[in-house]
Amino acid sequence: MLDNLQNCVQLGEKLGAKFVEARYEDLILRTLQRTNDVWRDITLKSRAGVGVACYYGGASGYSFTSTITKKNMEAVVSRAFKMAKGSAKSATLKLDFDRRPAMDSRKSDTLSVKDHPRDKDLTYKTDLVNRAVDSARKSGASISNITGMYGELHGQKLFTNSEGSVIDWNFEIVDLRCTVTSKTVAGHLVNGAEGVGGTKGLDHYKTPGTTPEDIGKKAGSNAKEQLKAEACPAGKFRALVENRLAGVLAHESFGHLSEGEYVAIGVSPLSGKLGTRLGTKNATIIDHGMPDVPNVGGLWLPYDDQGTKASKTTILSKGVLKHYLHSRGTANYLKQRPTGNCRAIHFGFIPIPRMTNTYFDAGNLTKEEALELLDTGVYAIQTSGGQVEADGSFVFKAIRGYWIEKGEVKKPLREVSLSGNILNLLSNVEGATRDFQLYSGYFGGCGKGGQAPLPVGLGGPELVVSNVTFGGQAN
Amino acid sequence: MEYETLKSELLALVDDGLKYAKTVDQQAEFELFLFYQNRAFANIAQGMVDATDGVIEGNATRVAKDQQVSFASSSGISIDRIKRSINEATASLRSVSVKDERFKGFCEPKNPSREGTFTDEILNIGKDELINYANVLIREGKETDKRIHMVGASCEAEWGGFAVGNTRGTQEASRSAINSCDVYCIAVKEDERRTAYKYDISRERLIIPEGLGEKAAKKAVSLLGAKKLNKTMSMPTIWTPEAASAYLYASLGQSARGEYVVEGRSPLADKLEKKVAPSMFTVIDDGQNPSSFNTEAIDAEGHPQKRVALIENGKLQNFLFDTYYAHIYGTKSSGSCSRPGRPFGSALPYETSPLIRPKNLEVKPGSKNLDEIIASMKGQAVLIVDMPIGIFHSDVATGEFSAVASSAFLIEKGERKWPLQPISVAGSFYKGFENLIDVGNDLEKTPMTVDTPSLAFDGFSIVG
Repeated sequence: MLDNLQNCVQLGEKLGAKFVEARYEDLILRTLQRTNDVWRDITLKSRAGVGVACYYGGASGYSFTSTITKKNMEAVVSRAFKMAKGSAKSATLKLDFDRRPAMDSRKSDTLSVKDHPRDKDLTYKTDLVNRAVDSARKSGASISNITGMYGELHGQKLFTNSEGSVIDWNFEIVDLRCTVTSKTVAGHLVNGAEGVGGTKGLDHYKTPGTTPEDIGKKAGSNAKEQLKAEACPAGKFRALVENRLAGVLAHESFGHLSEGEYVAIGVSPLSGKLGTRLGTKNATIIDHGMPDVPNVGGLWLPYDDQGTKASKTTILSKGVLKHYLHSRGTANYLKQRPTGNCRAIHFGFIPIPRMTNTYFDAGNLTKEEALELLDTGVYAIQTSGGQVEADGSFVFKAIRGYWIEKGEVKKPLREVSLSGNILNLLSNVEGATRDFQLYSGYFGGCGKGGQAPLPVGLGGPELVVSNVTFGGQAN
Repeated sequence: MEYETLKSELLALVDDGLKYAKTVDQQAEFELFLFYQNRAFANIAQGMVDATDGVIEGNATRVAKDQQVSFASSSGISIDRIKRSINEATASLRSVSVKDERFKGFCEPKNPSREGTFTDEILNIGKDELINYANVLIREGKETDKRIHMVGASCEAEWGGFAVGNTRGTQEASRSAINSCDVYCIAVKEDERRTAYKYDISRERLIIPEGLGEKAAKKAVSLLGAKKLNKTMSMPTIWTPEAASAYLYASLGQSARGEYVVEGRSPLADKLEKKVAPSMFTVIDDGQNPSSFNTEAIDAEGHPQKRVALIENGKLQNFLFDTYYAHIYGTKSSGSCSRPGRPFGSALPYETSPLIRPKNLEVKPGSKNLDEIIASMKGQAVLIVDMPIGIFHSDVATGEFSAVASSAFLIEKGERKWPLQPISVAGSFYKGFENLIDVGNDLEKTPMTVDTPSLAFDGFSIVG
């Protein structure tokens, strides 16, 4: 296959392209879903394809095929070049980039896991789901639905380009989740959920705290607690934001605004603000393709889909904007280094600036100190995602929480959305805890430009933030 | 492949695949799905251009035996790739014992319905046309007002089809072609930035970019000068079609799905034939409206697509079903099986195992125009003119939503006053239906695959 990709590069150059990238992926995606006692999904997807990007006159053209023949690949190169050449006339913002020495990947670039999902049979995986569902059933109450899900995605990613780089590595991610829906006496439905995923071997589900039984138990008991939870009051309150939710805040509310093309075209409110203080000294936001996955979790991404080695990028350092997240073109345009953030969800898309593992850096508070600092407000926990707009307005959802008074837990709260403007919120981060965790998984992920869901990692410590808008229940 | 011969070519491959499947396991029941789509896309944002042109093609197999069902897909539609899916689905089935006793078989053969409207002009759209359209959108947006600082535009053309066959005798196919464009303008005044979008999408004509850039620019400028609401209270909200379409898809578009009804996750599950909204409210899911985007001759398992009344005169009438959940519920499929396309589909639809989705939701228009609805508000209310962010981060089971409306105006004593800084809007989707105040007559076809006029609700919590 490498020969075929190299032929694509040569053909693109022969046609007149200034630079050519060719990539191939051969991935396996496995999902299992059990709803109550019924298996609804036993699926296996084989995803293989080739994509070629041609650069010409500061513009790019992209084409792809999943029918990998010599004729088709040549047609792909030809289409990509024509798209680039046709686009160049309209490209007033040029995203050229300088050549660099060729890069070659090493075998050790692929994170080694003990029990790789490809080496375990299907029964082993259905058993993980069964154990989670059975545990949830024991821990829950007034249950109307239990869903257990398992997902895995792994396989080869091969890349070459006009510089002669050869990047060959294996992507891997697994996920085990459980959701419990219970019915209140009044007939309302409430949820509890738990999941564990990331670049892990299946041996991770033997670790205390992340076994299928632990996952099911948490989902069941969370739903049970929600049976007596009250609606969060609407208004502005102080908040203690749990690790996962802090990660969504870092990713949705800030990370997207730091993506290079948004900055280059001036859409992002972070454009032109390098070196500017945007938050308190407690707010440090990092994107890292190769975090310490075995110890803190997350996703392992040694290279992006433009062949750039992953790096640790401190976007916001103690409240001061330091860097953006880049493709090679946006890095060159904004005169920063490429950060290894140019990613595509699959061969059908050209890579664009995306996040890898995005997180708030840990602080120095203990949990008790964080609750004391919060004093009175909302402890917002877990998330079903969030969204940001170009002006920095954001909303993200906590799926449960607690009302805290004078540092003490008073009552459980139902799901609630937190909203505001990210630049205001960063100025209200009062503290961060020492504990630090990254989260990732097969299910869910990031959406952008029609490319969803792209696996990412996110997380951080718990954050104490003042003046957060909660869209709860108004009197 | 050519559009004219697409169906026959796909059906021939399905036939070959089914013949092979029977050699793999004569006792098993098989279903094959083949997908082919030609897609061209161009995006220009502040002079930054990217363009893509390619063919998405893939296949999927479902196999069932002894009340076990498994699914496998693979990219490509060559017979070798089809065989791969068949073999992998069968291997999964043989390697594990996971019963689904509710499974009663794949779709029985039926006569197909009609494909939607089609113009062959869409087949001829190339990169140059897409880039030209985008340039028109951008030029207009920029020239409309000096306060427009940024404009971006995307244009897309796609055509293709799919075929489904199973060992019960179903072998049908359907085709469609759609072109679309959208433009966003960002208006800036000092530190304030306001964004507005406009779009055009059609399957029966070429898109008309002229006028859209100007409309988006004017809308963005109208949002400048926003003031804080400075209130936390319950008040009426009016949702224009762009906003109302998101509300409907996030609420009824989910809770009417048969799998949520059967599995105990839909708050509407026990409300069939009961009043769930005032009599003015009627919603149809129309899989046969010729101009709607998801209209096909068959659904994703080969059942003819239909027109299904969900809510008629405020009363809940039907849910949406595929063959599997229809059997469990004791009814017939409504032709609602989907391997998701618009609005939130996968770019590789053949990778998704079949599920239930609305095809094209349509709200019956009322009698008042938007100005008349605004005029009917006695005290304070909020007018929401774009999709609130976060509205899709709601859970079907709870029905509770909490979103942020960045494009909103204050209404006071029947008059539109000034734009508002982003406000939080929260409540229950279903209480919202019960508290529906009015349905407008300004019916609009939206990219959300929802045709709706403006809707006015009472009782949501507003924080601003």
